[in-house]
Amino acid sequence: MVKRSSFKIFLAVQNALFLRELSMRFSSGRIGIFWTFFEPFFQIMVFILIKLLIFNSGDNHFDFAVFLALNFTAFNMFKNIVMKSTGAFKANKALFIYKQVKPIDTIIARTMVEIFITGIIILIFLLIGFYFDFDMVVDDLSMVGFGFLWLMVFAFAFALVVAVFNVFVDSIGKLISFFMTALMFTSAVFYPIEALPLELQHWLMYNPVAHFMEIIHGFYFEALDDRFVSYGYIFLWTIILLYMGLWLYVKLEKRIISI
Amino acid sequence: MIKLAKVSKFFKTKAGKKYILKDVSMILPSDKNIGILGRNGTGKSTIMRMLGQIEFPNKGNITSDKSFSWPLGLSGGFVGNMTGKANVKFVCRLYGKSEKEITEIINYVKDFSELDDYFDMPIKTYSSGMRSRLSFGLSLSFNFDYLLIDETLSVGDAKFRKKSQMALIKKIETCKVLLVSHDMGTLKDICDSGIVVHNGNMEYFEDINVAIEEYKMINK
Repeated sequence: MVKRSSFKIFLAVQNALFLRELSMRFSSGRIGIFWTFFEPFFQIMVFILIKLLIFNSGDNHFDFAVFLALNFTAFNMFKNIVMKSTGAFKANKALFIYKQVKPIDTIIARTMVEIFITGIIILIFLLIGFYFDFDMVVDDLSMVGFGFLWLMVFAFAFALVVAVFNVFVDSIGKLISFFMTALMFTSAVFYPIEALPLELQHWLMYNPVAHFMEIIHGFYFEALDDRFVSYGYIFLWTIILLYMGLWLYVKLEKRIISI
Repeated sequence: MIKLAKVSKFFKTKAGKKYILKDVSMILPSDKNIGILGRNGTGKSTIMRMLGQIEFPNKGNITSDKSFSWPLGLSGGFVGNMTGKANVKFVCRLYGKSEKEITEIINYVKDFSELDDYFDMPIKTYSSGMRSRLSFGLSLSFNFDYLLIDETLSVGDAKFRKKSQMALIKKIETCKVLLVSHDMGTLKDICDSGIVVHNGNMEYFEDINVAIEEYKMINK
């Protein structure tokens, strides 16, 4: 057999896993596909209704529908990368019989699939936005993109830690969906931090995901900014999670292969 | 050449460590088809998995400059809710095959495995015999230095068994086999030499017939 370089092997494995994951996502039944693309619309509608009915104010200095679309796209990407990766090792157990498939490859592939799906959702939102003439003017596109990219790395690091723990502690998988719901309410997804009472702002900024949301909508809308964001704080979170995830993974890789 | 340097492998059980190999050092020659013999539960499959580098010794290491197939066993590295064809495609991509090569391999495997309509149905509808047909056909399409075969030859109906044995005999002109089997006939037909695994040790025999004699002694 012709020897391949390890990078070439990695690419071949990623290509195979990505296509497999994607085809599994889209062949797992119509409800699954429908929900993948309908979920963000559902979330947006619910929160617009809540805002109109409960707070009874439709006025804002930015378009609230666009705000929700942007935030939910970013938050769902984070959530799905973590949630889908949680069970990735166990779900792909059968594939570790091929020695070139390392457990971490399955996490990378699932992360890539989620990023790909996020891309499609962004496209759908853009088409709808243009068609219905929403005000989608971006203040600083490169910083919004930067926020998304950083969030991807953060999500991957977080996902890796959770996935490794999930192999050895069974209940993590169940806790994570509850945790994600709690996170959604505290991550500035359907409100900007500046709209909150002063006391609350301080507390919410301990949540790293809220920082990412603030970067993303802060640079998207002219009317908002990133004054609550501490870049050093989320940099630390990213580095620590990434280091912890990789360290645990390297320590436990052989045990994960033979689960 | 496969080199085992002070290899120990154990599983932890409630009664303490259960050793499969205890401090084994050995060099296996490259030009031999080797049969692995031993009673049930002595660790033949684990040794096979270690050679395929998907299981690792607790101490020591196993090195080789040869390429090994995945261990062809009953459990098979397939995904239940994907079709046979999709699984074949997936494995081809893992090994970096081009689209043209993939089409060739698919045709070959479909033809060899005689799965007909089942080839386009999810693997979970397959019987274990059908799975090993697919797995075996697929492994023949790659050029490994070593094929690792774990009992797969003894499943399937008589006709397919004969066919796969013929295919294997043809294949070993270009590659070598490490074979786990309880069927002495198959071992004699295919292997030149043998390893007997017993009580945390493994012993290499130049001649498969001697290995079989030793195995029969143990089994008494």
